[in-house]
Amino acid sequence: MRPLRVVYAMARADFLERVRRYSYLVTLLFAVYLGYAAGTGIISLRLGDYRGVYTSAWIGAMVSLVATTFLSLVGFYIVKNAVDRDRQTRVGEILAATPLTKSSYLLGKLLSNFAVLASMVAVLAVAAVAMQILAAEDRTFHIGALILPFLFFTLPAMALTAAMALLFEAFRFLRGGFGNVLWFFLWSFGIALPAVTNHPQLDPSGLWMVYQSMLPAAHAGIPGYKEGFSLTIADKSVRVATGFHWNGVEWTPEIVILRLAWIAVAISLVLCGTWFFDRFDPARSRQKSGARSRRKGAAAPAGVAPEFSTVQAPIVTSTHLTPLATGARHSGSWRILVAELRLALKGYRWWWYAVAGGLLIAQFAAPLDVARGPLLAVAWLWPILVWSALGTREARFGTEQLLFSCARILPRQFPAAWMAGILVAALTGLGAAVRLALAGQSIGLLAWAAGALFIPSLALALGVWSGTSKFFEGLYVALWYVGPLHRVPGIDFTGSANGPQAGRYALFYLGVAAILVGAAFFRRARQLRGA
Amino acid sequence: MKLEIENVSKTYRGNVAALRGFRLELGPGVLGLLGPNGAGKSTLMRILATITQPTAGRVLWNGTDIKHAPDALRTVLGYLPQDFGIYPNLSAAEFLEYLAAVKGLDAASARKRIGELLELVNLADAARRPLGGFSGGMRQRVGIAQALLNDPQLLIVDEPTAGLDPEERVRFRNLLSELSGERIVILSTHIVSDVEAVATDIALIAQGQLIVHGAPEALLAGVNGKVWEVVIPSGELPALRQGHLVSSTAHRNDGVHARVVADAPPRPDARQLEPSLEDAYLATLAAHRHAAAAEAAV
Repeated sequence: MRPLRVVYAMARADFLERVRRYSYLVTLLFAVYLGYAAGTGIISLRLGDYRGVYTSAWIGAMVSLVATTFLSLVGFYIVKNAVDRDRQTRVGEILAATPLTKSSYLLGKLLSNFAVLASMVAVLAVAAVAMQILAAEDRTFHIGALILPFLFFTLPAMALTAAMALLFEAFRFLRGGFGNVLWFFLWSFGIALPAVTNHPQLDPSGLWMVYQSMLPAAHAGIPGYKEGFSLTIADKSVRVATGFHWNGVEWTPEIVILRLAWIAVAISLVLCGTWFFDRFDPARSRQKSGARSRRKGAAAPAGVAPEFSTVQAPIVTSTHLTPLATGARHSGSWRILVAELRLALKGYRWWWYAVAGGLLIAQFAAPLDVARGPLLAVAWLWPILVWSALGTREARFGTEQLLFSCARILPRQFPAAWMAGILVAALTGLGAAVRLALAGQSIGLLAWAAGALFIPSLALALGVWSGTSKFFEGLYVALWYVGPLHRVPGIDFTGSANGPQAGRYALFYLGVAAILVGAAFFRRARQLRGA
Repeated sequence: MKLEIENVSKTYRGNVAALRGFRLELGPGVLGLLGPNGAGKSTLMRILATITQPTAGRVLWNGTDIKHAPDALRTVLGYLPQDFGIYPNLSAAEFLEYLAAVKGLDAASARKRIGELLELVNLADAARRPLGGFSGGMRQRVGIAQALLNDPQLLIVDEPTAGLDPEERVRFRNLLSELSGERIVILSTHIVSDVEAVATDIALIAQGQLIVHGAPEALLAGVNGKVWEVVIPSGELPALRQGHLVSSTAHRNDGVHARVVADAPPRPDARQLEPSLEDAYLATLAAHRHAAAAEAAV
């Protein structure tokens, strides 16, 4: 029984530590908002142009799928800090010196991750009940039809999300920003998996299963229905199909086992993660250069007493410091800008620069539409980790006290960090800008400039306010996916998909950038005042 | 050059008072700030370094309130926090170059200063290695170097010798002594021997209040003629500790040599000793605790 007790103790401590932080309240508020969005039709489940009557089965399925879909994306970023917290607080090193096994540790963390996500699901389940009462389209309550989708769709998906977050933390190269970006693409792939493979078994979200279950009733009750099933946001064109009566998923033992199998998959993934988890051994994550230089120092042979007849004075090196000249403390702003730019770009390997350089050359060589479209889009995704460090680097590396005790941080260092972010955007997207300028497309150039200002401003604001890079990494990839990649007008902050409205949208993004920088400035000023 | 701390209080969330009406005036020299864990030393350091603001009271640097004009102090401040981070991908020289730029030093002055500082903290050979591979002591030395970058007039160092080996500790003490001439140095620590070695002034803080402020000699005078050495069998040590303030013990062939601070000899065979600062510190702290307990009982 001891291992179970250890897992429970680990999960309990981690869960309590999390729920006693203010950020947990924000997490719950997000769940409340999702419930509100589902209840007011901001998010809706539709088949073709229609949705079903708000029965218990429909609401249960819809809200549980909203939870499954959105919480598996956002929830990943919320819970992907269980191991990192122990690393930052150095509790991990204390735990590593105990008989605690890697599997017990990770299973405890899995349970805690799952508990946090499940608490958000619980909020949504309550919202589902409230929704049926308030919508009053069908006053008959079927508690099973309302709640079982949460148990069999959402909770297994949450277990899988919790496990993936932990697995990412176990792999060194997935721990940071790269993992955060990768998750978005994995999540998109996971949602599309059953449709792509046509295997209902490979359906972690349950969307496909609900779709298959609804099809017969949809064909019978929706006039002219052929195909189409989606969760949409802010789509006002959806209509109610009064003849569409769906009684919910038929929970056969096969389906229940299939759904619960995802929990087993989650546990298996975490157990696989134990192979890669370094158990807080800094030697396993330290840079090779550090290891090399440590080997250089030859140790003295053990067990040999030093021999000396007289006590020698130590070899004293100079302790002389030249006093600074009077004008030495007034350097130009460019020096701090160069220092910030160097700091932002330091630590990237040669291939990172090679890809950025290749994308830049391609922008010069490709046709203009390609240069400012897909090439600029990729060029402005590539430095995402450079931008996501803006405003968070001090908190991440614990240098706040060193920096915040320096003079003129707000008028010098803060704008320099922001400018460094803009320079990175300008340099990586320079080819498109030059091509637009040469083609005389002033509106296109304005849109490009708005994008170059918007990205670092968003990063800085989210970084300074949240203290973590995850929010920017998650949100920016989502924006990039919808806007520049899928060319949705208005969301495309590079401006290439905005057509005749490009100028108007450019002004919009410039305005948003100004607001974001203002918000970041305000927050940093408060931090400097010690508030 | 003057630093005035006027009735400074700091209360954290949950009504936890870290500082209560703290008052002190400082001129050039090294102030050793001593106190037990949780006494409020680090809170005071953070307030003086403009990181935290006091709940009440004010701090004046050459007559200017640092709450309203923090840059007046920050320009001439060197600060080594108790816990600080580094950027692991930068080398020691690059990290110092970055902070020199943040502190507003021009390139030529910064280069020269960084070279001297790296020599000074014995890191010249490791200057180009990434900080991520540095040991705790080496990182601490980088922290010391950054605090001295801008040739500060006020140098605040919080537990600076934590993690340093004995040789580096001696080196740092010598450095502080040399630096103290034309600037104010505040050395916060609970290692009494560090203070004993360099402080020209001592402030003792407990439960957020200033208990004693004065020259080390004045503090020592309080226990003059009150420090004794007794040699006892090790079995009698618990009984001795029950009735007396034992400042240190050492096991020898003839028994336990216990150092006792007491008004009268604890045993007829007790031998009087020269008091050390540690004796004075422990005796003052014990007296303060007795007084506080008596006050609470009333």
